[in-house]
Amino acid sequence: MGGTSLPEGGRKKRRSLDATVNVVPAIDLLSCCISFLLFTAVWTQISRLQTTPMGNGSAVEVMPAKSITVTLTIGEKGFVLATSTGAQIEIPALARAADGAPRYDLAALGERLKKLKAEFPDQAAVTVAADDAVLYADLVHAIDACVGAGLGNVSVMGAG
Amino acid sequence: MPIVQPGKRIAKRFAASKVFAGKMHHGRRSTNLELNVIPMVDMMTMLVIFLLQQFSATGEVLYMQKDIKLPDARHGQVIEIAPVVAISGAQVVVSGQKVAEVAELERDPSQIIAPLVEKLRDEKKRWDYIHQNDADREKNWKGEVNVQADVKVPFRVLRRVMASAAEAGYGSVNFAATEEGGTASAPAPARKKP
Repeated sequence: MGGTSLPEGGRKKRRSLDATVNVVPAIDLLSCCISFLLFTAVWTQISRLQTTPMGNGSAVEVMPAKSITVTLTIGEKGFVLATSTGAQIEIPALARAADGAPRYDLAALGERLKKLKAEFPDQAAVTVAADDAVLYADLVHAIDACVGAGLGNVSVMGAG
Repeated sequence: MPIVQPGKRIAKRFAASKVFAGKMHHGRRSTNLELNVIPMVDMMTMLVIFLLQQFSATGEVLYMQKDIKLPDARHGQVIEIAPVVAISGAQVVVSGQKVAEVAELERDPSQIIAPLVEKLRDEKKRWDYIHQNDADREKNWKGEVNVQADVKVPFRVLRRVMASAAEAGYGSVNFAATEEGGTASAPAPARKKP
C-alpha cells in the first residue's frame, strides 16, 4: 500500500488538494528491471585482439605504397624488431621470472613501434613471429603493444 | 512521500484539535502507519542505472573458467560471437566439448588437430545452415574464431590451434584478453578487400 500524499488544505467547499501518488507500480517496475539486469549483467570485460595466421590461404592484402614489412620476433632473449628497410632493433628481455620465463621490455617495444609508426604513418601491418616456448600472455602483450602503436593489422606465425 | 493508508484523514488545520483529530479516544493506537519508501526507490534507481551501465547486448561470449587465466590487454576490441576454442593447461575445448589433451598434443608431431578441425567444420556447417537464405551470405562470413587460452599456454600449442582453424576455413583468430583500464570499444581495423 505505497502511496504519497500532498498536504490537505482549503476550506469546505473547495476542491481537496489531497492527492495520493501510488509508487507501488514504480517499485514493481524497478524490481523487474533490477532482476532482469542482474541476470544479464556481464561482470568480466573481455576484449579481443584480432590476428591473421600467416599462410592460411586468404587473399593477400594490397599494401600501401609507403609501407614496409615489419616483423617482430619474440624469442628467449627478447624482442627483435626488423623491417624490410634493413633495420634490426633488439630489445633484450629484462630478467627472468621465478618460473624461468623471460620478462619482456614492453615499454621499450611500445616506444620503438611508435617511432616506427611516426616514420611510416601508412604502415598498419606487422608480422609477429613467436618461438614455440613463448607463452600466450607474452604473445598477447606483444600484439597489444603493436595495436597500441597503430599497427592494427597483425599476422602471427611461428619463428622456427 | 511516505506510504499512508488510503482513506479519510484530517486536514492540517485540525491536527491540533482534540475533537476533530480524534485525540479524545485515549488508549487507541492509530492504524495509520507511515513507511518512507523514498530511500528504497532511490536505491533501486541507482541500482538500475549501475546495472544498465554493465549491460551488454551481445551477452557473455566467453565464460570465465577456473583453469584459464586470461592476460590483460589495453587496446582490444569488443568481442564478437564466434566459435570459442578454450585452451587450458590440460585440454583444448571447443564450445564446451573437449577435442584434445595438451599432453597428447605435445607428443603428437602433427601440425593439425584433427578433432578440432572436424568440430570447427561442424560449426561452419551450422553457420551455413542458419544463413542459407541470406543473399549476401558469403560476404557476411568473417571466418573468425575466438581463442581463450591460459596465460601459461605455450605458442607451440597455439600454433597448432591456429593451423587447425585455418584448415577448417577460419582465417581470422581473435585472442581473448581481459580488458585493462580503458574500454573495449576500439573500432575494428579496416580490412582491405582483394
